[in-house]
Amino acid sequence: MQIYIAAAFVFLLLAAVILAGKIAPNDPYRTNATLIRLAPCREYPFGTDNLGRCVFSRVLFGGRTTIAATFFLVAISFGIGTFIGILCGFYGGIFDRIFMRIADIFLSFPQMVVAIAVAGILGGGMAGAMVALGITMWVAFARLARSHTISIRNEPYIMTSILAGKGGVYIMFRHILPNILAPVLTNALTQIGTTMIGLSGLSFLGLGVIPPTAEWGSMISEGRAYIQIAPWTVLFPALATIVTITLFNYLGDAVMEYRNV
Amino acid sequence: MKQSEDTKFLITNIFRKIAETILLLIILSLLVFALMYIAPGDPAEKRLTSQGTAITKEVLEAERARLGLMRPFLVRYGEWLFGIIRGDFGISFKDDMPVAPKLAAGLHKTLILSSASLILSLLVSYPLAIWSAFRKGRVSDHIVRVLSFIGNSMPNFLISVLLMYVLCIQLRLFPVIADGSPASLILPVLSLSIPMSGRFIRQMRSEFIDQLNEDYVTGMRMRGVKERYVAVNIIRNSLGHILTIVGLQVGTLMGGSVVIETIFRWPGLGKLVMDSINSRDYPVIMGFVIIMGTIYIVINQLTDVSYHVLDPRV
Amino acid sequence: MEDNQYGSKINKHALRITDLTAGYGEDSPVLQGISLSLEKGQILCMVGESGSGKTSVIRAITGWENLQVREGSIEVWENDISHLSFKERRKLLGRTIGYIPQNPAGSFNPIRKYEPQIREMLASHDIRYVRSEVEEAFARMGLDSPASLLGSRPYELSGGMNQRIVIAAVMLLEPSILLCDEPTSALDVMTANLVKDEFLRLNKEHGTSILMVTHNLGLANIMADSIAIMKRGRIVESGDTEKVMCNPTDDYTKSLIGDIFNL
Repeated sequence: MQIYIAAAFVFLLLAAVILAGKIAPNDPYRTNATLIRLAPCREYPFGTDNLGRCVFSRVLFGGRTTIAATFFLVAISFGIGTFIGILCGFYGGIFDRIFMRIADIFLSFPQMVVAIAVAGILGGGMAGAMVALGITMWVAFARLARSHTISIRNEPYIMTSILAGKGGVYIMFRHILPNILAPVLTNALTQIGTTMIGLSGLSFLGLGVIPPTAEWGSMISEGRAYIQIAPWTVLFPALATIVTITLFNYLGDAVMEYRNV
Repeated sequence: MKQSEDTKFLITNIFRKIAETILLLIILSLLVFALMYIAPGDPAEKRLTSQGTAITKEVLEAERARLGLMRPFLVRYGEWLFGIIRGDFGISFKDDMPVAPKLAAGLHKTLILSSASLILSLLVSYPLAIWSAFRKGRVSDHIVRVLSFIGNSMPNFLISVLLMYVLCIQLRLFPVIADGSPASLILPVLSLSIPMSGRFIRQMRSEFIDQLNEDYVTGMRMRGVKERYVAVNIIRNSLGHILTIVGLQVGTLMGGSVVIETIFRWPGLGKLVMDSINSRDYPVIMGFVIIMGTIYIVINQLTDVSYHVLDPRV
Repeated sequence: MEDNQYGSKINKHALRITDLTAGYGEDSPVLQGISLSLEKGQILCMVGESGSGKTSVIRAITGWENLQVREGSIEVWENDISHLSFKERRKLLGRTIGYIPQNPAGSFNPIRKYEPQIREMLASHDIRYVRSEVEEAFARMGLDSPASLLGSRPYELSGGMNQRIVIAAVMLLEPSILLCDEPTSALDVMTANLVKDEFLRLNKEHGTSILMVTHNLGLANIMADSIAIMKRGRIVESGDTEKVMCNPTDDYTKSLIGDIFNL
C-alpha cells in the first residue's frame, strides 16, 4: 500500500518534469531586465530571479536536469557494478580477488572528498560531477551482485545449465541476472536519494552544471545572495529538492520493507 | 592459554592493519598525483594560468624547466611524496607561498567545526536511537523515525540555507557570515549535524533492534533481568558496530564540511579547497585530498581494529 | 513480597491451566483445549514428539513470542495471568517462574563474562551476590573450577558447559515453579544425570514445582509425579506416572511406551 502511494507521487513528479515543456508558463532561459526579482504573481507563480527568469519554469526544467542526471548516474553505476559483480561471483578466482581488492580500496576513500577534487580538477560540468561520484558508486552494486551471485551459483538449475554445456555468458544473462535483479534494483532505488544529494551538492558548489542550465542545487546557490530581498528564488527550488529526495527515499524504504517481510 | 593466544592474534592483526594502512596511503597518494596528470594542461601551464601570466612559448618552456617537468613520472612522484612526508606540500601556484601552513590553518578550523558537529550529532542521536529501539512500534518511535527520515533526506546545503533564512533573516538571531566567534559556529554545526543525526539515528536504531532480537536478550528477560541491565548489555555489544557506523559517517562529514564552510565562509580546509579549485591552485587541492583521505583511512582502520577488540568472536 | 500474591504457602496449585486454546495471530490454534495442573512440590512431565505443542504450552505461560491466549485460563498460584501482557508477566519471571529454554547455551550475552551477568541477574531480584554460593551452585552441576568459569565469556566455552552454567544460574533464583524445555537434550549421559539430580534436589529441598517438557518418556518415568502426553496440540492422556505408564488407555501412549523398551 505504502509502495503504491509513494510510486503514485513519484510518477506524478516524473510526469511534471518530463512534461516541463508543456506545463512551464515561461521560457526558463529568457532573461528580462525589467522583471528582475519579481515576487510570485499569476504570471510568475514562483516569482522571477535575479535575471528576470521565471522561477517556476526553472524549477520544472531544473528538476529535469537533476532527476535525469541522477537516474543516468544510478543506472550506469548499476550496470557496471552488477556486471562486474556477476562476473566476480560466477567465475571467482583471481579475477574476483583483484576486483574485490579494488572495490575495497575505493571504499577506503571518502567519497565526497574524492568527488569534489575530481570534479574540481576535471572541471567538466555535470558530466565531470557524474564521473566524480560514479567512480565510487559502482562498488556497492558490485559487492551486492557478487554476494547474491555466489549464493545462487550452486543451485541445481545453474549446475544443470553448466553440465548442459551452456556458455558462461548465457548462464549469467539467462539465469543469474534475473534472479539477482530484485535485490540489486532495490538497492539502486535506495541510492537515488543519496545520489541526488551528492549531485545537487556538487552543483551547489559550482562543480556541477554550467550556468545558465537550470538545476536545483545551482539555483539555490545563485539565489542565496538575494535571499533577503527575493527569498522565493531559494525557497521554491529548496522545497522541490526536499520533496523529491523525501519521495524517493520513502519509496526506497517502502520497497525495502516490503521485500524484507 | 586462551588469553595469550587471543593477544597474539590481536597483535598480528594490528601489524597487518598497519601494513594495510600504509599500502592504502601509498595508493591514495599515487591516485592523487595521477589526478594531476589527467587534469587538462600541464602544471607549468596551470601555474601560469593560475597567476594570470600571459602564456607564450618561451615563458612556458622556462617554467617547465624550472619545475623539473622533463623528469620521469616516478621520480617526480617520489620527490612529491617525500616532501609530503616531511610536511612539505609544495608551493602554491597562486602566490608562490608554501602550501603547508595554509593547509594546517585550514585543518585546525575544520577540525573544530567537524568535531563539534560530530559530538553534537552523537549526543542527540545515540540516546534517541536507544530510546526508539526499546519503544519499537510505539508512537514515540514513529516520531523519531519520521524526524530522522526527514533529516536524512535533506542535503546539508539546503538546511544551511533554510536555517540562514529563518534564523538570520526572519528572526535575526545570528550574523549571516561566520566571524570565527563561538556564536558563529552554531549555524554551521547545526547544518552539518541535522542530516548526520538523521543518518546516525536510522543506522543505530536498526543496530539496537538487531541486538534486541538476539537470543541473549530473550534469555535475560526470561530470567526477569531488569530492562536497564538489558540496555547495558545491548550498549556493550553494539559498540563495535556503532564505531564502524561513526567511522564511515566521517567521510560524509568531510564532504559536508566543504559545502558548509563555503556557505558560511568558515576558513577551514573546505573553503580553502573551493577557493583553490576556482583559481586552479592544484597543490592545495592535492594536499586537501591527501589530508582528508589519510584521516579517513586511519579512522576507519582504527574502528576496524577496535571492532575486533570489542567483539573477540570475530 | 511477591509471595503474598504468588506462591503463598497456602495455595495448593502451583500452576493450573484450564481449557487453554492459543495461537499465533490469525493462524489456526497451536494449542487446543489444554487442561493440566501442577500441584505444589510436584513434578509434571509433558511428553510428545516435536511439533506436538509442548513447547507452546511453556510459551503460553511465559507470554513469549506473541503466542496469544484465545480461550481458557492460566493460573499461577491461583492467580489468572492469561490476560497479562508479556511485560507484566515478566515480573513473575525469574523468581516465581524459572525458565530453562531448549537451547540455553545462547541465553547469556556471549561476549561478557559470566560474573557481572549473574550479578545483574541477582540484582534484578534484589538478591545479594555471594560468590561462594554461586560457585557452590556451579559445583553442584558438576562444573570444575567455578572461579575461572565466572571469569570466562560464554563464547569461549562449549555448548554443554554453557548449558550447565545457565541451569545453575536459573536455580540460584530458587524459583517456586520451574519450567524446563528439554533441559538435557544437548548433554551427555553423565551430565544429564547430574542435571536430573539437581532438579530432584531442588524439588525435595525447596519444594520447587517443576513442569518439564521432554520427548523422553523414560526420563519422565523416573522423575515425574504425573505425566501428560501431547499430540497435535492436544493432551491425549494424563495422570499419575504410575497410572499412565502401567495402564495407558490411548494408543499413542501405548506406542510411546513400547518405544522405550524397543530402544
